[in-house]
Amino acid sequence: MTPLVALHDVTYRYPDRTPALAGVTLAIEPGERVALLGPTGAGKSTLLQLLNGLLRPDTGAVRMDGTAITDDTVAAVRRRVGLVFQNPDDQLFLPSLIEDVAFGPLNAGATRDAASARAHAVLESLGLSAAHDRAAHHLSGGERRLAALATVLVSDPDLLALDEPSGDLDARSRRRLLDILGGRREALLVATHDLELVRGLCRRALVLVGGRLEWDGALDALLADRAMLEGFGLVA
Amino acid sequence: MAHIPDGFLSVPVLAGTATASVAALATAARRSRATLGEREGPVLGAVTAFVFAAQMLNFPLGIGASAHLLGGALVAVLLGPWAGMLVLFAVLLVQALLFQDGGIAALGANTLNLAVLGVGSAYVVYRMCRLAFGDAPRATVAAAAVAAWVSTVLVGLAVASELALSGLVPWRPALVLVGGGHVLIATAEAVLTGLIVGFVLRTRPELLPTRTSRATAVPAFAMAGAALVVVVLAIALASSQADVLEALLERLRSADAPAFAGPPAAPFADYVSPVGGAWVAGAVGLLAAFVVAWGMVLAVARRRS
Amino acid sequence: MSFHHLDQFAHVGSAVTRVPPAGRLVGTVVLALAVATLPPGAWSQLGFLALLSLALLAIARIPPAVVLARLAWPLGFVLLASAALLVVIPGDPVVRLGPLTLTAQGADRFAAVMGRAMVALLPAVLLVSTTGFPELLQGLRDLRVPIAVATALGLAYRLLYLTVDELERLQRAARSRNAGGGAARRRHLVAAMAGATLGRAFVRAERTHAAMLARGFRGTLPLLHVTPWTAGAALNLVGVCGLALAVAASARLP
Repeated sequence: MTPLVALHDVTYRYPDRTPALAGVTLAIEPGERVALLGPTGAGKSTLLQLLNGLLRPDTGAVRMDGTAITDDTVAAVRRRVGLVFQNPDDQLFLPSLIEDVAFGPLNAGATRDAASARAHAVLESLGLSAAHDRAAHHLSGGERRLAALATVLVSDPDLLALDEPSGDLDARSRRRLLDILGGRREALLVATHDLELVRGLCRRALVLVGGRLEWDGALDALLADRAMLEGFGLVA
Repeated sequence: MAHIPDGFLSVPVLAGTATASVAALATAARRSRATLGEREGPVLGAVTAFVFAAQMLNFPLGIGASAHLLGGALVAVLLGPWAGMLVLFAVLLVQALLFQDGGIAALGANTLNLAVLGVGSAYVVYRMCRLAFGDAPRATVAAAAVAAWVSTVLVGLAVASELALSGLVPWRPALVLVGGGHVLIATAEAVLTGLIVGFVLRTRPELLPTRTSRATAVPAFAMAGAALVVVVLAIALASSQADVLEALLERLRSADAPAFAGPPAAPFADYVSPVGGAWVAGAVGLLAAFVVAWGMVLAVARRRS
Repeated sequence: MSFHHLDQFAHVGSAVTRVPPAGRLVGTVVLALAVATLPPGAWSQLGFLALLSLALLAIARIPPAVVLARLAWPLGFVLLASAALLVVIPGDPVVRLGPLTLTAQGADRFAAVMGRAMVALLPAVLLVSTTGFPELLQGLRDLRVPIAVATALGLAYRLLYLTVDELERLQRAARSRNAGGGAARRRHLVAAMAGATLGRAFVRAERTHAAMLARGFRGTLPLLHVTPWTAGAALNLVGVCGLALAVAASARLP
């Protein structure tokens, strides 16, 4: 079966030539839930941005359903990969929430009514309906993270890629986030330091250290092995 | 302060400045896209937001008063003349429409003064200074400060001219009050712009385009020269038209003369009758000065490289 | 700091808000122009245009208190700006105040300018009270304002909050670290804060752009709400504009 997303021997260097990723090969199946772990600076964010074509690899290939990501295919890829950035404020840039959430569908060609309806539905499902015509800065930190999530959920992506989704969330908002993510069907790739978040949510773990994929296996096995966790720099 | 409210300017001045602004903005829109490409929207948005926010900062003058950044020169240095004009235009639009800071009918005039003239002249002066004195950090900061000073003074002169040409105030008080006031503002603007550019150079030097292309400079300089010629000709024309207008009015036997020809000859009571002669000499002189300055700068630049 | 309070009446349906924002913009400009260019002495025309504007404000159901509040600041500024006219225009002296002479012509001109400025502010208040920010952007787009400017403003709304937030944080930090210091030191601080914010503004622009691309952005911000034109709205607009222009023209006839 063709994996949903596959990286084959991907290398990427930042514009100032420092290496970010080296020889990364991995595949994610439809519906799979994967935790992307690693110390800060390991290249997790870079990897996520390669998945939706924001960055292009220097060598190697990134494929979706077997097709390489090129300028022609990138628009379709971006509809199918919902990338949620680390800072929700980066993602909420329009004067009102409803506009932010409808942004994706409108760009993809939906009619105004359809986009509006879908946006309202998503906001409703996340408990954010009341704030739909307000700007994001009227929301709390946790609500803003949910709003940022809403902006990609609305496009029904096949893969949800989240970059540190639980940063600065209080316990209740984390619970909320877990409940929402737990109920979703699409493939999930969560880049995080928060081991507690992904325990129980994800089956599989990828560990990136210094731009290299050092481990790819069952999350539970990793979490049970203290020595390995310390070796990878995932715990102090 | 620099924003002219509604009710101060005459129909010809409003029309003339609006037309010139539209033409300049159209050029700016095309060229800005060519330089910034896809990132245009977000970059202009971020800098617009910055200018708004920065204009709220109090810059203490040390004499119990404080000034506020206008931002034209800063934006010209960072983004170039065309994107810079668009940013200032966006700021002026919101100020006029949402905050009644500057008149709606007067938007054309305010745009011409602050966005087109303010940014454009700052850019030209900045480039000339760098051509003459190099791109070392100190020279760049000085160039930015000089550009800010000159452009702010020019803005003041433009506002004064528009008020006088509208027949609202005689030339001398207009130039002294408005122009003079702007000389004071110009100093604060120069210092603040220089300090900010210095800071950016130290912390994020990649933000300042060092190798600015000829492609930007040549049309900017050409536009500056053309604008100068047009402005001077317009002044000459308007002053000579005043006589024609008076004749027309006599014929219409209108008791309420349209305000802006004023009590006949009053706007120019303190000047020699301005048709031909002095004005033409002035125009030629100004143009000559510009050409000579440019030539000198180019000569110095060629000698250095 | 908030723009939200400005457009609280935009949701109140009225004949004014039924005119699409581009039409409201055009109407505002025409009305403001008509007032701003009235010759001095055209008091009846000025009064008529004032009544027309007030009528529109009433139709849009803007409370008088709100109108007055929004007029206060710009009026104060106009007062200061035109005060010089009293003593700067040559003519028949009325009163001597120290080195300055108030002339009759100066007083006339002052009155004319103040009258025009005050009344021209009314359509501006009408516009800002009935038009929300997203609608305003739609209007600007329809009127062929450069796309980059419309996109920039669309993003600037949020970016402004984030930038002001940052500036306030920097100011608090600076204040707690540095109590006192002369004007020169404060100037350097202000410049440093501005410079830091400027740098962050560019970073934020990059990240916003990336987020926009990730959701399919292709150069123009899409619009969610579009107020359609109706025959009634068009007629109302043409009527108001025609009336204003006719009144303005009547002031210049012999």
